[in-house]
Amino acid sequence: MKLTTTVDIDDVHDLARVCVIGALNTDTAPEFEQQLQAVLDNSHELTVLDMKELDYISSAGLRVIFKAAKQAKNAGNRLAAANRKPHIDKVFEILKALPDMAVFANDEELDDYLEAMQNKVKSEQ
Amino acid sequence: MTNTITGKLIAVLTLCLAGIHGASVYTDYQLSRAEILERVRLESLDTVNAVVNDLEYWLDGVQDSTKLLARILTQNKFSPPELNQLLANVLIDQDEIYGATIALNPDFEGNPRGFAPYYYRKNGGITYVDLAEDGREYWQKDWYTRAVAAAKPVWIEPYFDAGGGEILMTTFSVPIYHSNAQGLRSLYAVITADVALEKLHTYLQQLRLGPSGRSILISRGGIVLSSDRHDAIVQNYLEALSAPQDRDVWQRSFEATLRGETLVFPIQCPARLGQCSTRISTLTSTGWPVAVLYSQDEVLSPLRSYGTKTIFIGLATLLLMALAISLISRRLTKPLVALADASDSMAQGQLEVPLPRVKGKDEIARLVQSFGAMQRDLKSYIADLEVATAGKARLEGELAAATQIQMSMLPQGGEALQESGQYSLWAKVRPAKSVGGDLYTFYQHGDEELRIVVGDVSDKGVPAALFMAKAISHIQQFEEEFQSPSRGVALLNNALEKGNDNCMFVTLFFGVINLHSLEMKFSSAGHTAPSLFRAGVVTAVNQETGPALGLAEDMSYPENTLQLAQGDRLAIYTDGIDEAFNDSAEMFGVERFNTQLQKTGEHKIAQAGQAIFQQIDTFAGDMPQSDDITLMLVDILSTLEYLSTRHNFSCNADKPGSACDWLNKLLEEQSVDNSLAMELVLVTEEIMTNIQKYAQLPAGADIELQVNANSDRVELVFTDAGIHFDPFKDSHRAHLGSDIDSAEVGGLGVHLITRLTDRQNYQRSNNKNIVRLEKFFSSFDK
Repeated sequence: MKLTTTVDIDDVHDLARVCVIGALNTDTAPEFEQQLQAVLDNSHELTVLDMKELDYISSAGLRVIFKAAKQAKNAGNRLAAANRKPHIDKVFEILKALPDMAVFANDEELDDYLEAMQNKVKSEQ
Repeated sequence: MTNTITGKLIAVLTLCLAGIHGASVYTDYQLSRAEILERVRLESLDTVNAVVNDLEYWLDGVQDSTKLLARILTQNKFSPPELNQLLANVLIDQDEIYGATIALNPDFEGNPRGFAPYYYRKNGGITYVDLAEDGREYWQKDWYTRAVAAAKPVWIEPYFDAGGGEILMTTFSVPIYHSNAQGLRSLYAVITADVALEKLHTYLQQLRLGPSGRSILISRGGIVLSSDRHDAIVQNYLEALSAPQDRDVWQRSFEATLRGETLVFPIQCPARLGQCSTRISTLTSTGWPVAVLYSQDEVLSPLRSYGTKTIFIGLATLLLMALAISLISRRLTKPLVALADASDSMAQGQLEVPLPRVKGKDEIARLVQSFGAMQRDLKSYIADLEVATAGKARLEGELAAATQIQMSMLPQGGEALQESGQYSLWAKVRPAKSVGGDLYTFYQHGDEELRIVVGDVSDKGVPAALFMAKAISHIQQFEEEFQSPSRGVALLNNALEKGNDNCMFVTLFFGVINLHSLEMKFSSAGHTAPSLFRAGVVTAVNQETGPALGLAEDMSYPENTLQLAQGDRLAIYTDGIDEAFNDSAEMFGVERFNTQLQKTGEHKIAQAGQAIFQQIDTFAGDMPQSDDITLMLVDILSTLEYLSTRHNFSCNADKPGSACDWLNKLLEEQSVDNSLAMELVLVTEEIMTNIQKYAQLPAGADIELQVNANSDRVELVFTDAGIHFDPFKDSHRAHLGSDIDSAEVGGLGVHLITRLTDRQNYQRSNNKNIVRLEKFFSSFDK
């Protein structure tokens, strides 16, 4: 089982979209951690982990996510998860993982969120 | 010696004869003793009487002569020459008289000088002396005065006659009186007759009883007249004869004798050791006591010598008798001894040993003849026996081979123990004879079916064994066609019915256990219902049965179903068990069997089976086994997994995920639902990670993953040789539901494991950690 990661930066929204494809497990977690770290180092306001094509996640993977969420929050940014498959969702539910982490069930929710955020920024300006 | 008849015969006969002989000798001795004693008494008496009579006769003669002379002198007066003549004639006539005198009274008719002519014997002749010579006053002498004093004839105490005979003597003095014209009596003379003590002594010393015998004559005045001791003569008897201690008895006896009694009293023997007797009495004529001393031992010596002789002769006779008995006994028992030796040899197998030759027709001869007949019979009997034994040995050898062949027809040779993951099976046949008609067999058809058969052919022994062999071979023949027990049993029935003119039959239990579902389908051809041990309780399994096999063709057999479960023990047996009898003619029975099955329920299967056999044997006691016995026990251990596979992963060389990859692939192959597969892989990863982190496995050590699956559930078993590590207790568990700020980064894995599986178990065994996780399909929520 392998993991492929693609990073898509949306400068408009100061958003990094990290697509996690395959399996996030003990074997793949260390490399993913580095990649995610690189993304986080850019300190985007929002980093979204797109799990549309994530088939598998173990506690090793969750550990990386937990760590990244803390790091993002400390930097005043946010880490969010999107498009979790049901069985991935189940794992998160079991672990009652990070109730304060934003979770987007699908892209529409994410888009709605981004729009709302943008409007908010505009109105503030 | 007393161990042999000869010895006993000799001992017993000798003892008996010694007793009889001893008794008769003793009786004879007693009788003879009385006779001898009487004879000795009479002889002694005769001796004493003879001597005393002689003495009496002699003294009587002395007295009579003197008295006759006195009568003559009383009637007439004689001149001195006539007196001399008279005296001389007395001495001539009477040898016993030593000397005689006629002493005239000097006062009679004026003869003051006196006149006393005395004739006595001297140097073989007769010598004369006048006692009045030289003016001797003879009338002063004792022999004169005492006769005058007594005025009758008296015996004078012994004295030495000085001036007369010049010897020791005693004198018989008789006074003679003449009457004058006026009728006045006056003493005319005293006439005497002297008796020499020596003469008396000569007479008396003839009286001797035994070598130590003595005889003593004593005057009435106590003076010894005659004794074997010369110094005692004329002495007082008390001083001269008796030892001081005997004086009293002497004196008493002496005085009694003077009164006319005859006494016998014991005294110390004077000349030898021992007791002597003294018999004392008086002479009739003179009144002198005469004592006879004798030693009892000497007198009784004839008796003693008779006793000695009797004992000697008795012993000699006894010896001779013992010798004779010994010879006769040996002669009688000689053939018996020879016969005993011969029988010893025969007992050692030497049947040709010669028997002793015995003549005649007595008991021993008959015994030897009988023995000879027995010897001949024994020879022929042993010859027969050898033939019979050889035949029997051959038969036994054949039967042993048959037993072996028959047992080899049964799985594992008559006592089987088979264990697999799903079941344990134990079975045992014990024929009542060398071969029997009971059978069992079992085999696994593919992986999924266990087929078991227990059967019991009618009757037992060789016919049953042959029919059993036929049944077994048919079972093997039809192995592939036994999908359903009812069909299998029907097929077997038709096969066994063919050519079964003897109408042998088999009762049979045929069961097929599906190892996945644990359902048993079975058919029974008139066989005893099996018993089932489940959760501590034994019940007889309900069954519908068909007829026994081999009697009629085309019979149908109902098919029964029994759902078995893990932990069950099924017992199938033949009627040899429930119909085992004890010596009170009680049957072991189904109830007792079920009780034993229940009691041994917790034992291992082979132990339980052996224990039940043992119980049957204990119950039967000494009663021989009446029928073949077969018992088959089947333990249901688990259901058969559809999948069971394992793989080892190196702790270092393989990435933790390699186990997940392997499992994922396996589950894909088995078409396991993706989501379920993901969950199983997830818990596998979590466990493997935990082990690698915490079990401190050395480099290169393996972790084994075993996957078992059946229709109900999947089981994952992880085994490692690390330190004790129980992931469910020793792992850190993160607090769940925390915010990002407070959330822990680790400790999530164990939550996933416990939530995603239905049963978790940790076990430390053989220094290994064994983690077992189970997931039931029924609980999986897609």
